[in-house]
Amino acid sequence: MKIKLDNKEIECGQDKTLLEICLQNGIKIPTLCYQESLKPEARCRVCLVEMDGKLVTACSTYPKEGCSIITESEKVMKARRMNIELIMAGHVKTCSLNVSSNQLCTILEQIGLTGIRFDPIRDYEEDLGSAVIREDNKCINCGRCVKTCADIQAVYAIDFANRGFNEHVAPYCEHKLSDVACIKCGQCILHCPVGAIREREHLYEVIKSLKDKRKKVIVQTAPSIRVTLGEEFGMPPGSLVTGKMVAALRKCGFDKVFDVDLGADMTIMEEASEFLSRVKKNGPFPMITTCCPGWILMMEHFYHELIDNDNMSTCKSPHEMLGMLTKTYYAKKQGINPKDIVVVSIMPCTAKKFESTRPEMKSGVNYVLTTRECAKLINHFKIDFKNLPDEDFDPSLGISTGAGVIFGATGGVMEAALRTAYEFGTGEELKKIEFHEIRGMNGIKEGSVSIKGKTIKFAAAHGGANARKLMEMRKNYHFIEIMACPGGCIGGGGQPPHSTLETLKKRAEAIYSADKSLKLRKSHENPIVKQIYKEFLGEPLGKKSEKILHVRYFKKSQF
Amino acid sequence: MAETILSILRKEQKKNGYLSESLLKKISIKTKVPVSKLYGTASFYTMLRTKKQGINTIEICGSPACYLNGGLDLEKFLEKELKISFGQTTKDNKISILKTSCIGCCDKAPAMLLNDKPVTNLTEKKLKTILKRCKSSKKPI
Amino acid sequence: MQILKKTNLKALEKAIKIGPQETIKILETKGLTGRGGAGFPTAKKWLFALNSQSDEKFVICNADEGEPGTFKDKFIIENNPETLVEGILIAATTISAKKAFIYLRGEYSHLEPKLKKAIKLVTQKSKAGIEIELVIGAGAYICGEETALIESIEGNRGQPHYQPPYPVVKGLWDKPTIVNNVETLTCAAQAILFDDWNTYLRLFSVSGNVTKPGVYELPFNVKLSEIMKLAQPKNKVKAVYFGCYGGCMPYKDIELTPENVCGESCIHGSCSIIVVDETNSILDLSYVVSKFFAYESCGKCTPCREGTIRALMIVRKIRSGQATEEDLKILQELGEHIGQTSLCGLGKSATNHLLTSLKHFRHDFEERLR
Repeated sequence: MKIKLDNKEIECGQDKTLLEICLQNGIKIPTLCYQESLKPEARCRVCLVEMDGKLVTACSTYPKEGCSIITESEKVMKARRMNIELIMAGHVKTCSLNVSSNQLCTILEQIGLTGIRFDPIRDYEEDLGSAVIREDNKCINCGRCVKTCADIQAVYAIDFANRGFNEHVAPYCEHKLSDVACIKCGQCILHCPVGAIREREHLYEVIKSLKDKRKKVIVQTAPSIRVTLGEEFGMPPGSLVTGKMVAALRKCGFDKVFDVDLGADMTIMEEASEFLSRVKKNGPFPMITTCCPGWILMMEHFYHELIDNDNMSTCKSPHEMLGMLTKTYYAKKQGINPKDIVVVSIMPCTAKKFESTRPEMKSGVNYVLTTRECAKLINHFKIDFKNLPDEDFDPSLGISTGAGVIFGATGGVMEAALRTAYEFGTGEELKKIEFHEIRGMNGIKEGSVSIKGKTIKFAAAHGGANARKLMEMRKNYHFIEIMACPGGCIGGGGQPPHSTLETLKKRAEAIYSADKSLKLRKSHENPIVKQIYKEFLGEPLGKKSEKILHVRYFKKSQF
Repeated sequence: MAETILSILRKEQKKNGYLSESLLKKISIKTKVPVSKLYGTASFYTMLRTKKQGINTIEICGSPACYLNGGLDLEKFLEKELKISFGQTTKDNKISILKTSCIGCCDKAPAMLLNDKPVTNLTEKKLKTILKRCKSSKKPI
Repeated sequence: MQILKKTNLKALEKAIKIGPQETIKILETKGLTGRGGAGFPTAKKWLFALNSQSDEKFVICNADEGEPGTFKDKFIIENNPETLVEGILIAATTISAKKAFIYLRGEYSHLEPKLKKAIKLVTQKSKAGIEIELVIGAGAYICGEETALIESIEGNRGQPHYQPPYPVVKGLWDKPTIVNNVETLTCAAQAILFDDWNTYLRLFSVSGNVTKPGVYELPFNVKLSEIMKLAQPKNKVKAVYFGCYGGCMPYKDIELTPENVCGESCIHGSCSIIVVDETNSILDLSYVVSKFFAYESCGKCTPCREGTIRALMIVRKIRSGQATEEDLKILQELGEHIGQTSLCGLGKSATNHLLTSLKHFRHDFEERLR
């Protein structure tokens, strides 16, 4: 149909909202409660435009034939300004701006608000936890966290409570988030436009350790950090910054920089062997991966039957494996007292902060920092990230394969496991090492492969809602990978926020091209891995492996 | 849904006095509705209570017609007689007093809801009698 | 009273006999409009729902009469529930719905036995095969808004959502739904059956500083003095509030035609008249009404959630003698803003009372400034 947009006649589709039409025509309307791919709620009333003289919200209104849209009239700007003023009055004025690209602040810079004439009335206690923190006083009731936890993650840890000016986001019965069934995936953090939900930071502890001359502070980075860290310094999504990342961390003062991709290779050695032993015994199937701590919590709270039926792999996650190896194998080899080693993991994940505090984990990792915290650390030491020359990981525990790096994307763990499981199980070389059917952003992906005459059916899901769907069909498969975060770790709760589907696709592309560029692409080809088994562990699933690389989980309340 | 969530919450509150945390969990298991959503729904409505109440609840109407017919004086009277503020319960747990919006008895103002039933054309004398009955009874009157 | 005339299932018989199109035509000719306050042509609403393709459709009777000063629906439920039920059945058969709901506000739960009895009696006798379920609300003024009502029946927090999509296309559980007021549905049955049905008669709920408050059936454009003659105020009348959302006007002996009412910046709405006499300050009334909207706001959208409580705080400040002329300016700006940018009807009309009070009774506010 034909409409007038800012006095210019344009053609537009009937099925696009005014917000989408404006974006298509290069006009960006400010929004706060709008979420891509979810049904708009029109709560914040900031995206107002004039349609035939009346103020309407662009996110929820469709055009009428021949209507006239004005996007920045005096009336529109005054109304937007007042709604922002009311939002700011509710949002604590002394905000510490600790989330990169805080969307409310971006709008404030452009809207021309000269003062706030209203007083704050919110007076809630901070909800502190080991992984995720909520500051209700900063909340602007946009509802994005609630929708994310419900529609995308299907966890329902939080919802709105009370009515009117008393309406606020809370777990049931005003409990603290750490006391309810929250999987700590941090997706709510990624969607919050004002930083009212954020991760529990461990920067201070890490900086303190770095200053302690008696300690050997070792940092290890997850596979997905190398394709997202650059975004925190203004680089485009999908920039592969492995070399700069290592150089920056070394400049921060870490004694060694290790690669969790090596831990991932170790995980594959153990997990592929574990899977093949089940194939031999003909069960129990499916076997489900356990490198995602968000998924582990989901399983402990909502899927007790998986524990009863022994469906979960007992392998620890890559960074936990590497942390343990650092404090046992590496410490022994170098003659260092493990008590003098501090292991810091840079993770895309808030759930991993909780993971390393689990008593049953007996973790070798001391602190977990998210990608965002890592960027803050680099800025703290005033390091010019973008202009750093590339450096390599420390070789002792820093050599990895393509199978390790693809852990960062959804389907990657499955693909890496299959590369090794196939060769271990058949004794033959795997010619087609790329499993494209398990890659990509579809919610659930599946495929099959033949190992010694047996057809192995495998599947992968990402995001809580898709995980739940796959669990309903789990009996159809032998091997399942679940990532709690949409996109896998590249979309984790600790990553640069407000990522779109496009961003996730670009990050995944970078992961797979990193895999392609490496000479070694199968975990069992990693020379350090071979060395660790030869000198220290013996063989996969052996007694020593069982002791330090495996763990069991326990049922938790569904509430 | 055979029965609406609203009906279930009302029914359970009537049986148990208020919607406690354990009750909400039970309803969650029965209806397969997440408990956070149930709490969100329960806390939205004025007549659904998630906190323990006294044996009798008095909700006095604060809307214009009742105000114009002396509602404010009756509110002050209640607080003085029971020595508690609105939103609180008497020490013997017999009476909780709450404020509410228009209950539709404007032609018989001032009015209140006593245990969800309207009592109209209120006077101090009438209120005194009601309070006496509440104090002397072990069950809701 | 016209509203108390019983139709004794004859209206339903006629509606089934002549069919949906003819039924809707009668309502159109008779000029029946919604009695819940919005005044939307009933025939149009039913026609939209009839033309929406779906395997399931619903009729909802909105008995969530929460507007302060309104008690006419209670009057109908107490005195003519059978005709109301018949009206619901007529609506359902006209649009081909097999299920209907009556959403009765929680504060009227004492009327449940009476309504249930009427439902049983009429549905059994009618053999229309339509199930009527009585849902009792739990105390939320906002649930009188049709999309919030639908959310409430679905088991959610009763928060409205933007329209379009309209309930007649996508309503209860995303199926075509008509939501009609109690009086509208009762009138629908009467309009279909009685040739002499008068569309201009309305039920006025009169209350406040009067000695004879009650429900009066009067012509829509009745003179205010006529209402006062019937309701008999004790003292000289200062102002008249049209419920809380219709705004207030200084007492004038005018006819309540749409032009006259709009001329005072008010909304006729659902014909609630709250009489305020000269012994009361409009500032105090403003405080009572502001409190009402602040506590009944559902909290979903920014202007209503944050604005109504801030308006209340300013009125409180004025009453305490601490406010300045600047605060009055902010109150005016806030009032206009909430009305223009809120998501639903509650927000859009939440500050009519403030704007009209400031327009007609500014003196009551100014005399308290610092």
